[in-house]
Amino acid sequence: MNTNGPVVILEHLTKRYGTFTALDDVSLTLNSGQIFGLIGPNGAGKTTTIKILVGLVRATLGKASIAGADCVRDARRIKRLVGYMPDQFGSFDNMRVWEYLDFFGAAFGIPRRLRVKRIAETMETTGTTYMKDRFVESLSHGMQQRVGVARTLLHDPLVLILDEPANGLDPQARIEMRNLLLTLAQMGKTLIVTSHILPDLSRICDLVGILTHGRLRAFGTVDQISRLVSQRRTFEAHLTGAEQVAPAAAIIRQAIEPASEVTEATDEEVVRFRAAISETDLGNLLVQLVRAGIPVTQFHEVQTDLEEAYMSFASGSGAASAPALAAQGAAHG
Amino acid sequence: MADPIMQRELLSVFRTRRMFLFQCGLICIFAGLVIVRWPSDQHVALSGTRSQDVFRLFAYGLLTTQLLLLPVFPATNIVGEKNRGTLALLLNTPLGPWRIYMGKLLAVLGIAGIILVLSLPAAAACYALGGLSLTGEFPRAYGILALTALECAALGLCVSSFSNSLDEAVRWTYGLLLFVSVLSLGPHQFFQGSEGTLADLGAWLRCLSPYAAMMSILGSGDVAGQGLHSSDSVAWRFTVNSLIVAAGAALATVARLNHRIFDRSRPQGNISDDQRLAIRMLRRLMFVVDPQRRGRGIGWLVNPVMIKEFRCRRFGRLHWLLRLVAACAILSLALTYATTRGTLDWGVETIGGILVLMQVALLVLITPSLSAGLISGERESGGWTLLTMTPLSVYRILLGKLMSVVLTLALVMCATLPGYVVMVYIEPGLRFQVQRVVICLAATAGFAMLLSAAAGSLFRRTAPATATAYAALLSVCAVPLLIWMGRNAPFGHDTVETALSINPIAAALSVIRTPGFQEYNLLPANWWFLGISSFVSLLVLIAQTRRISRPL
Repeated sequence: MNTNGPVVILEHLTKRYGTFTALDDVSLTLNSGQIFGLIGPNGAGKTTTIKILVGLVRATLGKASIAGADCVRDARRIKRLVGYMPDQFGSFDNMRVWEYLDFFGAAFGIPRRLRVKRIAETMETTGTTYMKDRFVESLSHGMQQRVGVARTLLHDPLVLILDEPANGLDPQARIEMRNLLLTLAQMGKTLIVTSHILPDLSRICDLVGILTHGRLRAFGTVDQISRLVSQRRTFEAHLTGAEQVAPAAAIIRQAIEPASEVTEATDEEVVRFRAAISETDLGNLLVQLVRAGIPVTQFHEVQTDLEEAYMSFASGSGAASAPALAAQGAAHG
Repeated sequence: MADPIMQRELLSVFRTRRMFLFQCGLICIFAGLVIVRWPSDQHVALSGTRSQDVFRLFAYGLLTTQLLLLPVFPATNIVGEKNRGTLALLLNTPLGPWRIYMGKLLAVLGIAGIILVLSLPAAAACYALGGLSLTGEFPRAYGILALTALECAALGLCVSSFSNSLDEAVRWTYGLLLFVSVLSLGPHQFFQGSEGTLADLGAWLRCLSPYAAMMSILGSGDVAGQGLHSSDSVAWRFTVNSLIVAAGAALATVARLNHRIFDRSRPQGNISDDQRLAIRMLRRLMFVVDPQRRGRGIGWLVNPVMIKEFRCRRFGRLHWLLRLVAACAILSLALTYATTRGTLDWGVETIGGILVLMQVALLVLITPSLSAGLISGERESGGWTLLTMTPLSVYRILLGKLMSVVLTLALVMCATLPGYVVMVYIEPGLRFQVQRVVICLAATAGFAMLLSAAAGSLFRRTAPATATAYAALLSVCAVPLLIWMGRNAPFGHDTVETALSINPIAAALSVIRTPGFQEYNLLPANWWFLGISSFVSLLVLIAQTRRISRPL
């Protein structure tokens, strides 16, 4: 198995249920050791993408492969290459954590002696050693998520696919899960993670994909995606009095393109505007404000984060330039 | 409708399409019961016996239908609300526990009422035949049915309030009702005519059963009365008993309807290996196989799914199986010992009949609960996705699951074999019969397992899967017995024999020459039926498992 080149490849993946298109021409490439965050609103096609990758759903068109194994034709090989944690834990009654892991180890055909060692290792990695004698159904949600990750690691898969691993976790457990995912990436695993908790993803992911209505609207690093959204950057001009807000806003409106948004926050004594503007024009605008006798205490750009980028794409405003970035992301992969 | 709970319960049930189909199905069943016995010759029966025969079958059929269909509604009621979180909302309203309980009880009785109302056209047809009194059999039979509905509803709600899952509630409710309605008749059958505490206990226990009360009202005598006539007023005793049972169950349920119903401590997972040596030794002595010892892991030759199935069951651990086997072995030996001492003049055939009945009852009770949830349980808990993500093939998963049931059933059956060995030792001529009985029981076990597994695999949730498996199995066991009960009436010998040939209980009883069954020759037709049905069930199970394992 070649793990130096691309590990996960999706080519023009399309899934249709009757007339409904759940996934529309999605292509991306991931390398070994990368953490890829797949984000999107409910029903965007995240779980469908994941299920195609693990062989639970068959694509209508296109091709998905992991380490050269086709997700449809080489289903048995895919099972050994992938560790999959669905959004539902999949608890078995009356089983202790150790027995639970022992069963999955045996199901993957790991010999008993090696299995005992692997269980100890994965429990150590996921911090679940202390709960090995507890019954799985009695564990808290956070504990179950960690046992779930331990289960996916048992057969030492190349790729880990985790569907909403941070869902329903408290802040402490979220931080622990984040650190765990970073540890796994350091071990050389390729991780595909879906989540709604965007700050977490932006901290750990090498690559992010934004999926809405079945289409990959953006794919790349968090910085790349933020930059794409920031072609229309947001700025703030802080003033010294509320009476200066209206004249300042009027000058800004004249200086920037007509369709741009300008917001007057009188209470805060701030004018916010969102525009595609060059650095030179920005300098000229500041000069105009000062010449008009408007005292400006701060004049700065508001940084775009993943959440804003996500909202931009989810609302459709960032969609126009997405294919270009997606192609850029694929090249990056 | 004043009561908001009753209104909500009834509306949620009756506005579904499934309920409409359920009602249409009921009308067809009731019409079928009457048509089956409707006289087709040109003779006029002035005595009214024909209409009584028709009504008798109809009443038993109605009672059986009620016992098969009604329990699932109360059994899933409270536990379902608890698991969905709506019970907490309900307890947070100003409605008190009694009002909540009465709303739920009346809603279940409303469903029972619908079942009884739907039966009225068929009952009217029986009345039109003449010979039936509007002040005699009709109100009494419907009174027994109403009391049975009350008992079912109260017991079901009680079990539901103590259960933690829908599956558990359905299993216990059907088990309890099987005991109350059928198994409670057993002791009286063997002690009737004798005197003493055991006979009194048997007579009292029999009056828990609605079947005994119905037989008493319809003039059928006692179950397998063996020519003896009981002068006790069974119907009155049943009325008092059912009201006491319903009241007791109501009190127990209402006592549960408070915030404590949600208390469920998380087991800490204590392990004997971490305890002191003295405690470890004591546990070893008490349990033989200590359930709290750390396992060594699944061996490489063993199917991991089979071990997982044993570990998942609350009573699947080895120490529980050993207890079950020991109880079966002791009971079968005790019965045979009683015969050899001559204190009970039952005869070897009767003892054989008891053994067969016990085994079949155990099989019918245990098997659906073991195998109905094999697939649906996994789908409900999300475990199926995980199983299909392992390299295990569908056939290996299925084999492991079925083997876990086969081994349990084999253990239970083997435990009762010592009784047969003693029986053959007393009466060597029975050797051939015992061999055939054992084959009958093995075929019954296989049939019950595959039928339950196939029926259960069609559902996504365990509760309807278990209820359907019980209903399917009990139908195969109960419907032919209904026809057998009318063996001296218009049903001729051939008709009864044909009906009984699909019944595994009847086949085993006929082989062991139990009174009432010895005149029927049910083999090998019964084995053919069980074999073909088992094969078809296996095909359905495999097809359904393959279907849900395929990528969508």
